Amino acid sequence: MRPNIRLAASRWQFPSPAVHELPNGLTVWHFPMPGQQVAAFELLQPIRLDDEPRHLEGVGTLACRALDEQTISHPQMQELLDAQGAALHGAAGHFGTRIGGLVPARRLARLAPLVVEVLSEPAYDPQDLALHVEALTVAHRSRRSSTTSAAQWAFRQALFADGERRGRPVAGTPPCLAAIEREDVVEWHTRHFAPSGATLVLAGDLDDPALEAWGQWQGQTERSPIRPATPGLARTVVVDVPGAVQATIIVGRRSIARQDARWAPARLAGHVLAGGFASRLNLELRERLGYTYGAGGGFSPDPTGSTLQISTNTRTDVAGEALRRMLAQLALTDDVTPAELADAKSYRIGVAPLANETSADIAAQAASLAESSLTTAFVNDHAAALAEVSEQEASRAWRELVSPDALVIAVAGNAEELRPQLVDLDPALVELD
Amino acid sequence: MHAYPVETHQLGNGLRVAVAPSDSPGVAVNLWYEVGSTDEAPHRTGFAHLFEHLMFQGSANVGSGEHMALIESAGGQVNATTSSDRTNYFETVPPGALELALWLEADRLQSLEITEANFEAQRAVVKEEKRERYDNRPYGDLLELVVGQHFPTSHPYGHLTIGSMEHLDAARLDDVAEFFDTWYRPSNARLVLAGAVTVDDGLALAERHFGSLPAKPAPPPRRVVDQPTLSPSALEISRDVPYDVGYLSWPTAHAADEQLPALELALSILADGHAARLHREIVRGSGLAQETSALHLTHRRAPSLALLVARPQDGIDPRRTLDAIHAALARFLDEGPSEEEFSRALAQHERAWLWDLATAESRADMFNEAWLVHGDPGELNAALAHVLTLTPDDVREAAARWLAPAHSSTLIYRQGA
Repeated sequence: MRPNIRLAASRWQFPSPAVHELPNGLTVWHFPMPGQQVAAFELLQPIRLDDEPRHLEGVGTLACRALDEQTISHPQMQELLDAQGAALHGAAGHFGTRIGGLVPARRLARLAPLVVEVLSEPAYDPQDLALHVEALTVAHRSRRSSTTSAAQWAFRQALFADGERRGRPVAGTPPCLAAIEREDVVEWHTRHFAPSGATLVLAGDLDDPALEAWGQWQGQTERSPIRPATPGLARTVVVDVPGAVQATIIVGRRSIARQDARWAPARLAGHVLAGGFASRLNLELRERLGYTYGAGGGFSPDPTGSTLQISTNTRTDVAGEALRRMLAQLALTDDVTPAELADAKSYRIGVAPLANETSADIAAQAASLAESSLTTAFVNDHAAALAEVSEQEASRAWRELVSPDALVIAVAGNAEELRPQLVDLDPALVELD
Repeated sequence: MHAYPVETHQLGNGLRVAVAPSDSPGVAVNLWYEVGSTDEAPHRTGFAHLFEHLMFQGSANVGSGEHMALIESAGGQVNATTSSDRTNYFETVPPGALELALWLEADRLQSLEITEANFEAQRAVVKEEKRERYDNRPYGDLLELVVGQHFPTSHPYGHLTIGSMEHLDAARLDDVAEFFDTWYRPSNARLVLAGAVTVDDGLALAERHFGSLPAKPAPPPRRVVDQPTLSPSALEISRDVPYDVGYLSWPTAHAADEQLPALELALSILADGHAARLHREIVRGSGLAQETSALHLTHRRAPSLALLVARPQDGIDPRRTLDAIHAALARFLDEGPSEEEFSRALAQHERAWLWDLATAESRADMFNEAWLVHGDPGELNAALAHVLTLTPDDVREAAARWLAPAHSSTLIYRQGA
């Protein structure tokens, strides 16, 4: 006898943080998590890459990556951070620059002053900057060697109208990186790194969130507003990766924001089509046809909307056929069924406690909410909205938002073999640079 | 230091069960079968991994693909992996779906049903997995080349888990039944339940779903492989890759060797992060490399492999960069780490270890690993305390024993067509 699933008596709730507004302008969200011996922190500064000078794109990334190498007071900052058992990470996104890390919870109070020092007085030693420029340049070059990253690059480029910053590489291009001087990095840091409007998320088994230390971070700046970007036109682009034995296919488009009433139904429909192992697409392309190791995707939100993105890797000779089948599925000829919707709901609602088990899960989710000026209440409201969606609403939202002939399609692989398979989509061969 | 309580029990048919209750949002079900790519016949490489795919293709009461679909629709997560030494199957589920997960695992252990069509589809999926993970990536043949420098192809550790596609093409449905019958027995498996379950409930549920499965004798114990590793070698290849890279590699200790933690600290001190010795000396100091890193591939029944990786500075021959690493290494083997280097490595190890323990899913897998390697899942709780008793001299000794420049093999990828 197949056992029944006993559902939890009450729906899981995303925890509410203790919120502290510090005098320096920093907002701290503190999530106490007993038992999480490793604490996570995420600092989100609302720094917009739109503000990078066109010829120096990548300066925001460089200022973030080289931040913790050395400080003016402590050339051995890396040693000091390592000695606390800390592992720091950082990334400059289009809407915010994040500096985060993991550290044994009992050491967070000792780490905090070091992080404040790193934020306040990075040395930006020329040799360190040169190493980071080189690493970013090599990473840029490497992206063309793999179909997965080449297709992703081409997809982003086509997703936005020409001239939009968001269609260009986040970390700049080699000519921009080569043009960046130390003074440019210092100026970017001076202008943008400050507690004003920033949110610090702390999660873990913490006795002491070390508010006094975080309050020592000084500085003030005006934050630029978020500017929406114009989407690109629906089209198909092909990137040649000579010698590739697989093609990467990405289809998608810009779409609605989380605040749209169709967000919950659209996400559920997306789950049915491409969300899990048992999605329509994965069952067809992987389990039935053996074309791929996996196919999937969905809507990813950001502060100005979301991106629908569905991708797969297939052997080159079936890429055209795989793409045709993807587009046919995305047309949603058959309505979402009651059973599919029930499964999608129980997955998306039920997986939340497991997906938020660790300090880092909570910190990352909270930072993403802060970036879009949402609070943690959004997560719980969204779960409640998911529970109310009907099959008709899910099917209708998908069809309103996704039309197979209005998608951006990027295919990367051996172009000579791919192009004949894609003629009916009138693909443009694009160069990445 | 926090210890996670764990209790073990053996069912009448030989299945070993451990339950490790903790305050977690879900329960992790983690089943290790003691079979991996080292158990494959030399003309059937890749079979253990193909078989792992087939385990999701249906059984007496479960349709093809339904295992994953059921767990997902319960709000759970499910997957499986194959290594040289074991195959693991795992689900993490809300507590109310624990019984479903155990029933699914027991049903396929009792009654796996594979059709010709499923077999063909999964063979094709595995070929795409190989293309995606190896063939279609720059440096995708790295692992195969390094393994080939240390183990002859006739050695059980001399091929990768993904195996040979020609061998998979030659496999027949009969091979599936035989492999299943040989290895997939309660007596050859260990089941760990970790998270939101009590010991009593966990053991009762294991008994209810697995207890009635027939007992079959365990396969003969897998012994340490005494076939020797190959002598150190130097290999240079030219590939269409974005930059040159140099690798040094050594055969090292077995997984259960008591020197292994000290060796791993040595690798961390040498090449983990920007305060590491090689970064300070070869990257920032002499400027011969752009970045360095380290890797350790642990094997249970044959020497593991340690790797040091360097990406040379533009215009610098990779051989020169590797020579500089050898020189830095020789000093390290002679002097050992400084007190500061050593204590930083301990602090980093502690955070990484505690982080690995942060989810029930990962803890369950670590309990199973401790059980297979050290014979007792409870060893997991002693591991960190043991590392914290080590001294800089232990690290020096382990490095001197396992990382001698004269024993290293070199592999250089040069940018070319």
